[in-house]
Amino acid sequence: MTYWAINAVFLGLVAVTAAAALLLQRVRTRGARASSSGRPRREVVRAAGLAAAVLLVMTAVFDNVMIGVGLVGYDEARISGAKIGIAPLEDFAYAVAALVLLPSVWTLLGGRRAPRDPSTELPRARREREAAAPTAGEAR
Amino acid sequence: MGVLYLVALLVSITGMAVLDRRFALFFWRDGWRAFVTLVVGVVFFLVWDIVGIDLGIFFRGETSFMTGVQLAPELPLEEVFFLVLLCWLTMNLHSGTRLALEVLASRRDGARA
Repeated sequence: MTYWAINAVFLGLVAVTAAAALLLQRVRTRGARASSSGRPRREVVRAAGLAAAVLLVMTAVFDNVMIGVGLVGYDEARISGAKIGIAPLEDFAYAVAALVLLPSVWTLLGGRRAPRDPSTELPRARREREAAAPTAGEAR
Repeated sequence: MGVLYLVALLVSITGMAVLDRRFALFFWRDGWRAFVTLVVGVVFFLVWDIVGIDLGIFFRGETSFMTGVQLAPELPLEEVFFLVLLCWLTMNLHSGTRLALEVLASRRDGARA
């Protein structure tokens, strides 16, 4: 089995996780009132692209260093031979997987629990509550 | 010399923690959710590593920069820390870029108003 063959299997698992997360996200935003999810989609995509660019460049740099100083070796017969510097292109599958899998898992873990995000959701929820009943909000 | 790679990884992971804490990116955004996400990521990549090692695709290099402690044949202790760093960095970037773009956008709106 080649490096690409295993990568295909694991990237497949990542794709399934991502599909589940997207589905859940869609169900959740449909459930919530139209604009309450806030961030415009374009901003989210742009941020993800920026994160991907930074991580892939860092992977290129550090993978080359790690292979250069001899932390890891490869069986030349099982890699494609396509390389960025001295790093096999296949190694970048780890970075791509991380970029898709981890935010997907994070989303899936969001669940139905009330948002407990202290930096964003809570103040917004509190603001709405206070807008609905100003005196009750100020009393506390 | 043997601890050089491990120390480099620990220093880098500390950097991730500092950034996380300062900007509430991952653990400081939702600790439990971040912990589970990180564990899922590290275990997933470890399985990927073990399959790769098992099939003889990659192996531990002969170097004096590693402790030599192995969790499994050809799987150095350092790999776990590397994967923690990879996952934490990814999630810090994921939150950090959104935060940065949001701040830029709100500044633009502020300037226009």
